[in-house]
Amino acid sequence: MSSESSKKRKPKVIRSDGAPAEGKRNRSDTEQEGKYYSEEAEVDLRDPGRDYELYKYTCQELQRLMAEIQDLKSRGGKDAAVEIEDRRIQSCVHFMTLKKLNRLAHIRLKKGRDQTHEAKQKVDAYHLQLQNLLYEVMHLQKEITKCLEFKSKHEEIDLVSLEEFYKEAPPDISKAEVTMGDPHQQTLARLDWELEQRKRLAEKYRECLSNKEKILKEIEVKKEYLSSLQPRLNSIMQASLPVQEYLFMPFDQAHKQYETARHLPPPLYVLFVQTTAYGQACAHMKSSQPPRQDKTLSVAIEGSVDEAKALFKPPEDSQDDESDSDAEEEQTTKRRRPTLGVQLDDKRKEMLKRHPLSVMLDLKCKDDSVLHLTFYYLMNLNIMTVKAKVTTATELITPISAGDLLSPDSVLSCLYPGDHGKKTPNPANQYQFDKVGILTLRDYVLDLGHPYLWVQKLGGLHFPKEQPQHTVIADHSLSASHMETTMKLLKTRVQSRLALHKQFASLEHGIVPVTSDCQYLFPAKVVSRLVKWVTIAHEDYTELHFTKDIVEAGLAGDTNLYYMALVERGTESDACSSPSSGKGCHSQDVKYRTLLPLCSPCTHLGGIESCDSSQLSWHLIGQGFLLEPPQCWLWCCHPAPALAAKLQAAVVLNPGYSSIPPIFQLCLNWKGEKTNNNDDNIRAMESEVNVCYKELCGPQPSHQLLTNQLQRLCVLLDVYLETESHDDSVEGPKEFPQEKMCLRLFRGPSRMKPFKYNHPQGFFSHR
Amino acid sequence: MEVFQALQRLHMIIFSQNVSPCGKFLAAGNNYGQIAIFSLSAALSSEAKEESKKPMVTFQAHDGPVYSMVSTDRHLLSAGDGEVKAWLWAEILKKGCKELWRRQPPYRTSLEVPEINALLLVPKENSLILAGGDCQLHTMDLETGTFTRALWGHTDYIHCLALRERSPEVLSGGEDGAVRLWDLRTAKEVQTIEVYKHEECSRPHNGRWIGCLATDSDWMVCGGGPALTLWHLRSSTPTTIFPMRAPQKHVTFYQDLILSAGQGRCVNQWQLSGELKAQVPGSSPGLLSLSLNQQPAAPECKVGSARGSGDPGRPGCVDRSVTTLLPLGPDSRRQQLQGGCLYQSGLPSFLPVLLTSSNTPTSISGV
Repeated sequence: MSSESSKKRKPKVIRSDGAPAEGKRNRSDTEQEGKYYSEEAEVDLRDPGRDYELYKYTCQELQRLMAEIQDLKSRGGKDAAVEIEDRRIQSCVHFMTLKKLNRLAHIRLKKGRDQTHEAKQKVDAYHLQLQNLLYEVMHLQKEITKCLEFKSKHEEIDLVSLEEFYKEAPPDISKAEVTMGDPHQQTLARLDWELEQRKRLAEKYRECLSNKEKILKEIEVKKEYLSSLQPRLNSIMQASLPVQEYLFMPFDQAHKQYETARHLPPPLYVLFVQTTAYGQACAHMKSSQPPRQDKTLSVAIEGSVDEAKALFKPPEDSQDDESDSDAEEEQTTKRRRPTLGVQLDDKRKEMLKRHPLSVMLDLKCKDDSVLHLTFYYLMNLNIMTVKAKVTTATELITPISAGDLLSPDSVLSCLYPGDHGKKTPNPANQYQFDKVGILTLRDYVLDLGHPYLWVQKLGGLHFPKEQPQHTVIADHSLSASHMETTMKLLKTRVQSRLALHKQFASLEHGIVPVTSDCQYLFPAKVVSRLVKWVTIAHEDYTELHFTKDIVEAGLAGDTNLYYMALVERGTESDACSSPSSGKGCHSQDVKYRTLLPLCSPCTHLGGIESCDSSQLSWHLIGQGFLLEPPQCWLWCCHPAPALAAKLQAAVVLNPGYSSIPPIFQLCLNWKGEKTNNNDDNIRAMESEVNVCYKELCGPQPSHQLLTNQLQRLCVLLDVYLETESHDDSVEGPKEFPQEKMCLRLFRGPSRMKPFKYNHPQGFFSHR
Repeated sequence: MEVFQALQRLHMIIFSQNVSPCGKFLAAGNNYGQIAIFSLSAALSSEAKEESKKPMVTFQAHDGPVYSMVSTDRHLLSAGDGEVKAWLWAEILKKGCKELWRRQPPYRTSLEVPEINALLLVPKENSLILAGGDCQLHTMDLETGTFTRALWGHTDYIHCLALRERSPEVLSGGEDGAVRLWDLRTAKEVQTIEVYKHEECSRPHNGRWIGCLATDSDWMVCGGGPALTLWHLRSSTPTTIFPMRAPQKHVTFYQDLILSAGQGRCVNQWQLSGELKAQVPGSSPGLLSLSLNQQPAAPECKVGSARGSGDPGRPGCVDRSVTTLLPLGPDSRRQQLQGGCLYQSGLPSFLPVLLTSSNTPTSISGV
């Protein structure tokens, strides 16, 4: 409609343009449509090409007219004005034409535009339709793929294989003829079969469940029965206790011990188990009687179990506490300033701390004396220590010289050679000591007990020297392998110490106890007496002038015990009176008379004859003494000797006595000082007691060795003095009359005296 | 056991020693009946170590002490507890220590087997004289091994023997204080000197025993209980009495000197006039035996001769690490062996002197 209206207005403009006066006049008549001449219609009729020609022509005419006007104006003339007027009119016409043409062009343009718009709308509608269709197509495609991708749940089910299916499924399910060709049907059939099977299994499951339920109920019933049994058993046990005690079968006690043993540290546990086992084995071996009747080895655990349990608490707490307290301490130090030494002391104490539990081992010897051993475990050093104590059945009178024999410090020293128990056996300890400033363990041994090597071995701890290990683990087999020998050694050690203890008591009184079974080693009459038996210090021993050889040979270590014995043979009156009163007493005119049996080969005859030539008076009252056993008797009458001979003997007693013999060094004070340095016979006497000690051991376990050696020394002194060659030039008789029967007085280049005693015959010969 | 071994070592006494025929080895016998062989050449060499001073072989020869040893050209004869045994030197050095033979002189007593204190070779009649506990001198023919004769006359056991080389006579000294001179041809006692009866040399407090004896045909030197005395044999008179208090256990002529040893640490060198020429100290408190190495071929002898050419006080010559210059002996060189003392002394004769200690603190190792 708008286009319609715009079409209508245009002709007006054209008209008014073309005939302005006319247009103004016509304005009031615009509503009168039928009368309008329609320029739009004219457009349709006119040819645009001719309009273009017309336009060109009009433009040329206008140019010509303008040029002529200009030409006229420039010439100026009279007629020019007319001419110009004429021309102006002409050009106005041309302008009109141009205007007309312009309007037409506008109308044409509008028309073209309308047409284009119409076409465009049509195209748009078509495009929209196309879009819709495309969308629909896409949706459908999506639906199709969705359908294609659909998965059935049955694919997840694990089906039995085809062959199995056809083999096992009943034909009404498998329907082989249908399903063979058709996979769909086949699958369906297989699913059916699966379902069937599952149903059956479910049935079975239900059955089993009910079965289980039933069994559970049964168990419940039985449990109830059992729990009702416990109190009854307890009451029986309670009732049996007196019976156990009566029969010496402390099963209960042992059980309790094992309970506590669980809290022992590993080495002590090994020790406990092995000693208990050994004790039981011994008890069984010894008798067929009730096994525990003669118990020689008893083991017990001492100490607080609670403390041991407390040790197992997580260590962090305690450390935290420590650090806290440390911090506090540090704060307080500023005020109080506890010295560095105090802190170090605490650290040392911590390092040397022992486990709260300890193992007590009581070893009973035959004579009812008991060796109490207490084994400790030093937790931070990973070593074991032992404290020993000996108790005897009867109260012992302690001789002064026996002070160290049974002291806990030394009674077990050198149980194995060289095992002094003063150094730590764990090589790693030295580094720990360095940290807290402990020089050696030696200073703490009294307090802690001795870390002997055998103790470590009994606890199964082994510290190899060559290749130190980081962790040493308690080893049962090591402990077991050392148990028997160690126990035996312990027993012999205690017994030999006790024997020594007893012997010392009589030695101090100047009596050398010789048991009857050792009597055959000595002649019936021994004149020399032991007058002194004292203990001396190691330093004093080394300073003696006649012990140099022993010290130089390294046989005088400081773990040994040292004694000084004084053997004396004085005047004859002294021999009869008590030895102590006879010291230095010289009685000149006591007559001495003796009867001595003599057995001598012809060589000895010379000796007697030469004796005759001296001042002594010998009376021969027998005959036929050449080769026969004792048949002749000699009477001897003479004044008694004047000087007492004193034999000092420095004795080294090894802690390993009596398997290691005591060592004697001698010094004789008689007519000058005689030691092994200036007298071969003194040396021979030493070797008689030191080297030939084996024949002096007596019956096993040779506890009599020391006393026998001392008695032998007395005999040797007798022989030495009696066989001393007499100085013929000096007036007077021999100082010590020869009472011992000797085959020969001297033998060999070194002129040895006959020190060897031959038992049944009773004479002395050379070795 | 260690203690026992140490004690055994401490109480060891070396009674006898003998130089091998070649002069390179020394045999030493101790109181345990063992014989140890030392190599002199090794011990005296410049590169001698502690090890080379220990015995190269040790073997058990007798049950009792080995009191005496002598060497023939091939054999080592040892005696002690009543038996004499022979060993081949060649085999010993190869360490095969098996006895060649053993003989026991006919003894009259059976109660105690008498010991043999002295052995003496008589080269002229190829025989061996044994003397000891039974107061007799037994002569054994080395050819046949039989005992040909027994000489008796001593009233106590015999300590020592000496041979008068010029006339076939043997001297014996014993515990009874007598030195007896025996004629081997007639097997009779020719002369008896009872030393203790001469007041000059008698020392009653020491006893009358004669412990050592040596002779060079005209002269005889003997000592023991009585003082060490030089005797003129033909006139049987004491000529020189040596001023030595301690009893002497071994004496020997050495050219114009007399060497003696006994109680005390020293080896004494005497002029015939009785003047003490030198004293060579040893390590052991008493000496029982001296032995001269007379083999000029032995290497250490050459060393000795080069060293001791009568030029005392030439310490520059001591170029061997093993030698020690002793203050008393003029340029004498001492060498100590484990288990005995060995002196190599720069005496004019250039011969090493060996001596054995009675009480030796050192030992034959491996015993």
